[in-house]
Amino acid sequence: MQTSVLEVKGVKKGFKKFHFGPMNFELEQGMIVGLVGANGSGKSTFLRLLMSILKEDDGEIWFFGQNSFDDQSDYKEKIGYAGELLEGYDFLTIKGIKNLISHWYPTWNEEKFTELVKRYRIDIDEKFSKCSKGTKKKIDFIFALAHDPQLLLLDEPTAGVDIVSQGKMKEDLIAFMETGERSIVLATHTVDEVNQLCDEIIVMNQGRITNTFYKDEIHDNWGRIWVSHLTGKVKNHPNVIQYEVNPPQIVTNDVSNVEDVLQAEQITINQSQRLSMEEVLEFLIEQE
Amino acid sequence: MKIPVHVSEESREPIYHQVETQIKTLIVSGQLLPETPLPSIRALASDLGCSVITTRRAYQNLEASGFIKTVQGKGTFVREVKQENMEETKQKVVFDAFEKAVEQGIQVGCSEKEINHIFTNVMKKNFE
Repeated sequence: MQTSVLEVKGVKKGFKKFHFGPMNFELEQGMIVGLVGANGSGKSTFLRLLMSILKEDDGEIWFFGQNSFDDQSDYKEKIGYAGELLEGYDFLTIKGIKNLISHWYPTWNEEKFTELVKRYRIDIDEKFSKCSKGTKKKIDFIFALAHDPQLLLLDEPTAGVDIVSQGKMKEDLIAFMETGERSIVLATHTVDEVNQLCDEIIVMNQGRITNTFYKDEIHDNWGRIWVSHLTGKVKNHPNVIQYEVNPPQIVTNDVSNVEDVLQAEQITINQSQRLSMEEVLEFLIEQE
Repeated sequence: MKIPVHVSEESREPIYHQVETQIKTLIVSGQLLPETPLPSIRALASDLGCSVITTRRAYQNLEASGFIKTVQGKGTFVREVKQENMEETKQKVVFDAFEKAVEQGIQVGCSEKEINHIFTNVMKKNFE
């Protein structure tokens, strides 16, 4: 069953020097979508608009078929957000923040909270302002998960987090997705997270989506091909992203199309290889 | 739980097909015995760096051809495979491996005679 968990239609937001959107986006149930893009490309702005921390100038946002304008709706209970939401409460201890937040959610799961606090070795009597960057990230993550949401919106959840905890977070996210009914939007700069977690990838640049694809399309379409020689037609082909003369090789985002061109130009293919996610993301983010 | 399945960097074969063939091979060779639990589609996708769409497709095909079964709420398990299925898969796995080897031979410029010669030597080495 493919149900839309989140639908964004023509959302725009203007700032002094930055224009976000128009953004159109749909998230299917059971999917993890990775948001990638350079710093300042609009990933966090997007998540903040979704959480109504920022108000859009134009457009519509629908969660689970409910419009976000409708204040009566209960969609927010079903969302877990890990961003910089807790900064406003940083004079409180973690326990203090919990007492506050647990009241907002009818689905608050105290057992889960206790378990996660232990798992990530958080001292709940510590003031939030006293915590290190990585610890704050872990606390954000715990609060996003502790009310058993249906949808997670995560803004670079592992930035500054130690390696062991990063591994635990990855495990927790995979476990979260296990039923196939939940979904995640994950803004990230980490190739490993894209590789190990995401099904679909959205590339953002200057407040807009420049590319959307399922991860496996990279395997099918992108490749590096070593050839006998290069011709002008090949060098200038729109699907040839890059070429090198010695040894002659090309990088393409449409292998089967380019293979036909090579054949027509009577160029021999010596070897071909798929591109790593890292290389492809570098091309896509750098490209525009 | 981990199973020894990987995605080839060189092969142009679709990932779901690679996964399907490798799991079939593991089952037919007895490395995965009946009732062995398999990783969930999400966990396998994470290990392989592909999407759940791909692992779901591989599992659906394996289920349709009788190699695995899904028990609601419990997970996916290896099935007792029918003898004829075993035989057919065995043949196919070996056929594909030979085909790949021959393709590579042609790529480096071997003649039919040379490839035949190498084949005979390999057979001798293993069976005599």
